[in-house]
Amino acid sequence: MAGNEREEQTPPDASRRNFIKIMGIVAVGAGALAFLRGGIQNIIPPSGPVLSGFPSMKLVDATGKAISTNSLQVNNPEIVTFDYPLLNEPNFLLRLGDSNNKDVAINPVSVTIPLTGGKFTSPGGAGPYKSIVASSAICQHLGCIPPEIRYHTFTSASFDGKIHCDCHGSTYDPFEGFKVVTGPTQRPLPNVILSHEGSDPDSDEYYVKSLVGPVIYSHTSDLSGGNPLPSTTETTVTQTTG
Amino acid sequence: MNEPQPIPRKVPDYMRKAGGFMFWTGAMVSAVFLYEVVTGLILLFYYEPSNAYNSTEAFLNTVPYGSIILTTHLYGAYAMIVLVYIHLLRNLFVGAYKKPREMQWLSGILLLLLTIGVGFFGYSMSGDVLSSDATDVGRGIAGATPVIGQYLTALFFGSGTQLSLFHRLLAWHVVLAALIGIVFLAHFFLAEYNTIMPSGKDSGERAPAIDHDDGTYKQWYPYNLMYMLQIVLYTLGIIVVVPSILAVVPNVPALFSPFPQVSATSPLAMSVPAYPPWFLLFIYKELDFQFAQGLGPFYATVFFAGLPLAYLVLLPYIDTKASLKLVDRPITVSFAVIGVIYLAILSAWGALEPGIAIANTVVVLFYLVPLFVVPAIVITLSNAIKTGRLKNPYAGGIVLSAAFSGVTAFGLGMIVVSAKGNYTPGVIAGLSIVGLLFAISLLFAVGLFTGMYPPSVRKEPVPVSKNTYVAYSSVLGIVSIVILFEMLSMPFGNVYDQSLYGIGLGFLFIIGGVMIRLYRGQFYNE
Ligand code: FES
Repeated sequence: MAGNEREEQTPPDASRRNFIKIMGIVAVGAGALAFLRGGIQNIIPPSGPVLSGFPSMKLVDATGKAISTNSLQVNNPEIVTFDYPLLNEPNFLLRLGDSNNKDVAINPVSVTIPLTGGKFTSPGGAGPYKSIVASSAICQHLGCIPPEIRYHTFTSASFDGKIHCDCHGSTYDPFEGFKVVTGPTQRPLPNVILSHEGSDPDSDEYYVKSLVGPVIYSHTSDLSGGNPLPSTTETTVTQTTG
Repeated sequence: MNEPQPIPRKVPDYMRKAGGFMFWTGAMVSAVFLYEVVTGLILLFYYEPSNAYNSTEAFLNTVPYGSIILTTHLYGAYAMIVLVYIHLLRNLFVGAYKKPREMQWLSGILLLLLTIGVGFFGYSMSGDVLSSDATDVGRGIAGATPVIGQYLTALFFGSGTQLSLFHRLLAWHVVLAALIGIVFLAHFFLAEYNTIMPSGKDSGERAPAIDHDDGTYKQWYPYNLMYMLQIVLYTLGIIVVVPSILAVVPNVPALFSPFPQVSATSPLAMSVPAYPPWFLLFIYKELDFQFAQGLGPFYATVFFAGLPLAYLVLLPYIDTKASLKLVDRPITVSFAVIGVIYLAILSAWGALEPGIAIANTVVVLFYLVPLFVVPAIVITLSNAIKTGRLKNPYAGGIVLSAAFSGVTAFGLGMIVVSAKGNYTPGVIAGLSIVGLLFAISLLFAVGLFTGMYPPSVRKEPVPVSKNTYVAYSSVLGIVSIVILFEMLSMPFGNVYDQSLYGIGLGFLFIIGGVMIRLYRGQFYNE
């Protein structure tokens, strides 16, 4: 009460009071502003490229051993993928063969993008038999990932020799640069450029170099919009049963 | 029971005086909780359970201000746990668990458990080595639960894959945080309903202690609001400044580093000692006891953590006497002190000697010595004070500081015993810290006892001229503008730059708190 009365009776030091008040508001406001600036800038995800260019990554298995030609099965019915160029961006790794499980050499072809009418050149197969190809495993229609989208071998009941997406039925042809066979997709799968080193199929190595064709589904650029992979020099190949 | 009063209630002036902050430990916990909710929701935008460790590292390194948010979220959690313990001890010592506040006490115990739980799950989410060690201990305890062990493991830690593990951790972290919010509301409105725990002078140190407005209480607005804002700003300032400073200092030990350690799957993981979060070190150490290893992790936890918990839950129904005086409650006081001894020493022990088995003889010594020595000291002192043989206005302080020096002396002994002549730098550091605390508390107790401290002549506060206030405030105002300008013009860059931003931000909060203090001092006469 004493305090209250004092304030009410003595003429208030209006200007002093206001001055300190303003200084206080400045200080608290500065804190709030700094906090808001950090917070707002934080929740907008970084849009710039996460990577400055396509990294060259060695394909390795879960133990860190390089993937050799013979460690990949021809016409493997399982789903074999690796992340590239960013985390959670799966890509198919296929060793293509004919119905007798003989390697099929894949030649570079020009692939059309139905949506734009544009064309790009698919790199063709890598390795001693030119039979190893890779592409983004994110469906270009609405972004389904394996196991919804997967390669069907020649022993499958349907879509044999094709990549088919169960979400809405898009089909791609890995023998022809992952071109569109049936819609609804309007874009082929982005092709992965592989390079092959070594001559012994039991100890040779494969490197992922870059992507050609359309941009990975829902991305503005292949190098942004995600988190970097844990390693900058290698990416792990995993096999799952579809 | 209470005269109807509008909520929020008015509170007595002494709560806003120097030293009154002990009445506001709950407010500090709430402030930190709020901060945790805000930063936690921001983190939720970025956390990917499928890539726990990598998404955490990416948030830290590539998202603007990610490092401030992540490190202060962690340190806010630490601060919240420490403050919850302080809040609990304060209410234990003033007897706030007594009639009519039993429900408040019980909901508080529930909040303690939820806070530790939410901290455990949150800590485990980063997927670094420390977090996976913590998950392993938790899994071990849950899995060893009789009959329902495997269901509990599945419930809390998922089906065994990494994805389901981190998904569950995230879900539990959010669920428990939400539960804290709900129980907190109940706890808070009970506090409003039962009024604040009045000072001993007002209540006559007898339960039920109810605060009555004698007509002199100032309005809630602006007096209380301003005071609360001041406390909130100080608290936030500290939880932002501390981790930001730790982030730029080199060689912070893993246990207190504000950053995640290496990934659990990295080959470097072997070089990091297996620590759970420091607030669970005590449970972790108990599992190292020889006979606890015979019991298995579940029964050991039930025994070591369950007993004190049961005691806390039953306390309002055991100690039903009306007196709130410390000297009338020697047993409660002793148990509180013993609890602190066990908690502090077990934690330090776990940090210094992680995972080293402890022989039964040492365990028995560790548990029995305080169990007999502390009550003996406390009861003797209380009787001396009660019968008037010991007349000293600082009796409570003497009992507490004597007990505390006992704690630390015992801690010193335990460190020496368990070091077995092997004085590693860690042991030396532990010895010197505990030794320093021992010396200080002993000096304090002796000083109070002999009347040397505090000096009996209280200094009259020097009236500060009004212009001084103006000068102070303008200096602080200008300083804060300068800090803000520096922060805004600083290039946004690496974690180091962000930590500097964090330090600036923390100081802005603290300056804001000081300004309110000045304003209250000048115009509210407080
Ligand atoms: S997402 Fe693959 S077909 Fe629609």
